[in-house]
Amino acid sequence: MLQMEAWRPTVTRASLGAINRRVPDPFERLFLQEYPKVVAIAYRVLADRPAAEDVAQEVFLKFHRSYSPDSERASGWLHAAAVHSALNVIRGERRRALRETAHALDPARPTIASPERLVEEAEQRREVRRALSRLPQRTAAVLMLRHSGLSYAEVATALGIKVGNVGTLLRRAEEALRKEVKRATPE
Amino acid sequence: MRHLSDGTLRRIYDEPLALTAADQAHFDECAECKPRFHVIANDARATTGLLQVPAFEPQAPAALAVVRTRIKREETARPPRWYERWLGRTSPRWRPMATPAIAVLLAAALLTGLGVSGIAQSLFRIFEPKQLQAVTVSPSDFAQTTALLDYGQVKWLPDAPKLQQLTDAATAQTQSGLPVLMPASLPNGVSGPVSYGAVSRATGSLTFDAARLQASALKASVRVSPMPSTINGSTLVVNAGPALIEVWGMAGGTGIASVPTLVIAQTRVPTVDSNGATTAQLEDYLLSQPGVPPELAAQVRAIKDPSTTLPIPIPKGLATTESVQVNGMPATLIKAVLGAGVVWVKNGVIYAVGGQLTPDQVLAIATSLH
Repeated sequence: MLQMEAWRPTVTRASLGAINRRVPDPFERLFLQEYPKVVAIAYRVLADRPAAEDVAQEVFLKFHRSYSPDSERASGWLHAAAVHSALNVIRGERRRALRETAHALDPARPTIASPERLVEEAEQRREVRRALSRLPQRTAAVLMLRHSGLSYAEVATALGIKVGNVGTLLRRAEEALRKEVKRATPE
Repeated sequence: MRHLSDGTLRRIYDEPLALTAADQAHFDECAECKPRFHVIANDARATTGLLQVPAFEPQAPAALAVVRTRIKREETARPPRWYERWLGRTSPRWRPMATPAIAVLLAAALLTGLGVSGIAQSLFRIFEPKQLQAVTVSPSDFAQTTALLDYGQVKWLPDAPKLQQLTDAATAQTQSGLPVLMPASLPNGVSGPVSYGAVSRATGSLTFDAARLQASALKASVRVSPMPSTINGSTLVVNAGPALIEVWGMAGGTGIASVPTLVIAQTRVPTVDSNGATTAQLEDYLLSQPGVPPELAAQVRAIKDPSTTLPIPIPKGLATTESVQVNGMPATLIKAVLGAGVVWVKNGVIYAVGGQLTPDQVLAIATSLH
């Protein structure tokens, strides 16, 4: 039904059981299980595949330097690090502007007849990311974690908040984002 | 009666099953909460639309390999010893002009699609290549005047691709977004520090302009046939890169020789989108332009599927080619007097390995890359 529309995971979830049996190394297991989610979060924020992959790799490297892959809090840490690192990237506006235009014409995308439309789409994505970069960090983080397909429980774990508060924060974040976008593009 | 909070209504939209029985009962009965829910649901949908991004399938095993390599490198990293620092300071920088013909050829083919002529560039990128085919060219056949012809307006979004020369693998990887590939072992004679070249992804457009072409032809005193109406005014958008080039620079390791002995290069396949002219129309038009040798034109016309085949220019009389396989993928082996090279396409990336090596050495390196 309508309610389910927003729940569209963008990544195929690997079966945890199958990964556990096949991969004995805990870090590798954690990586294979969490990488799709971590990169999906970064990609939703950045709308740029190579940049999202960079962020995801950095997040795992940082994790590897400091934490045990067996930690119960590993997933939450990775999700939080992914969203915060990606948000930090879009705050560095200059780098963002360079990459975004190229992404509009991503070779991996099916050929579309109108290059102008691609440029338009890219411009719109850039506008939304600019608005996103102006939101308070926590507001933007709730918004992007949820819109990357994380459940309310996962969002709560990543940000250290109560599950019951996720809906309220998300609602406010959505209003704030739309207000920012509107403010930036007055009709 | 206490109504449901905005947060609870927002959650109903995403996770309707998480609602408590009491909240569910209230929601089912309440004439006030329902319309509020619809407003919230509409806002949520609108936000989903705003945050939409094109689909993307993450490749976890490939990313794991990259992260593993970086971890290993970090673990083995240690401050350089005094003589290594001295070598680093005195090593000649990688100079593309000093590379042997085969390396230049490979790098040029990867960096520019085809660096043979302005026209050839426009032509060969009109596609998304999935396979390669060798075509022989004699650079001397190209009329110099061709370079003076102006086919229309060229724009780069935002900038023309730039080659950055780097000395460490991690930066090269970050800059290019491509994994640094290493052979399992290096053949004798290949040693010394590795130089890296990273080229960012670039998008360019060319809008054909019959009047500009005519004017430039007059100025250069070249006769050109009128631009067909199907071509005039149409725009091609070219996506190229990113590319990553690894160069082993120092033959003999004396610190004086600067001729690369091994080059490993990779780039995402270039693609072209056209907003008007079709591949066939463009091929017909561009191949009949002054300055394109008839022999090359005939070879390109003979390519069965021009929209998915990347022609590899092979200098006539200087090199021969052979079809081989690299880990199951069809590849083109180039044998030259100075060295050898092999080029193949896999998963949307063009790979090339070449240098002052024998064909066997080149193939061994290509199959062992990781």
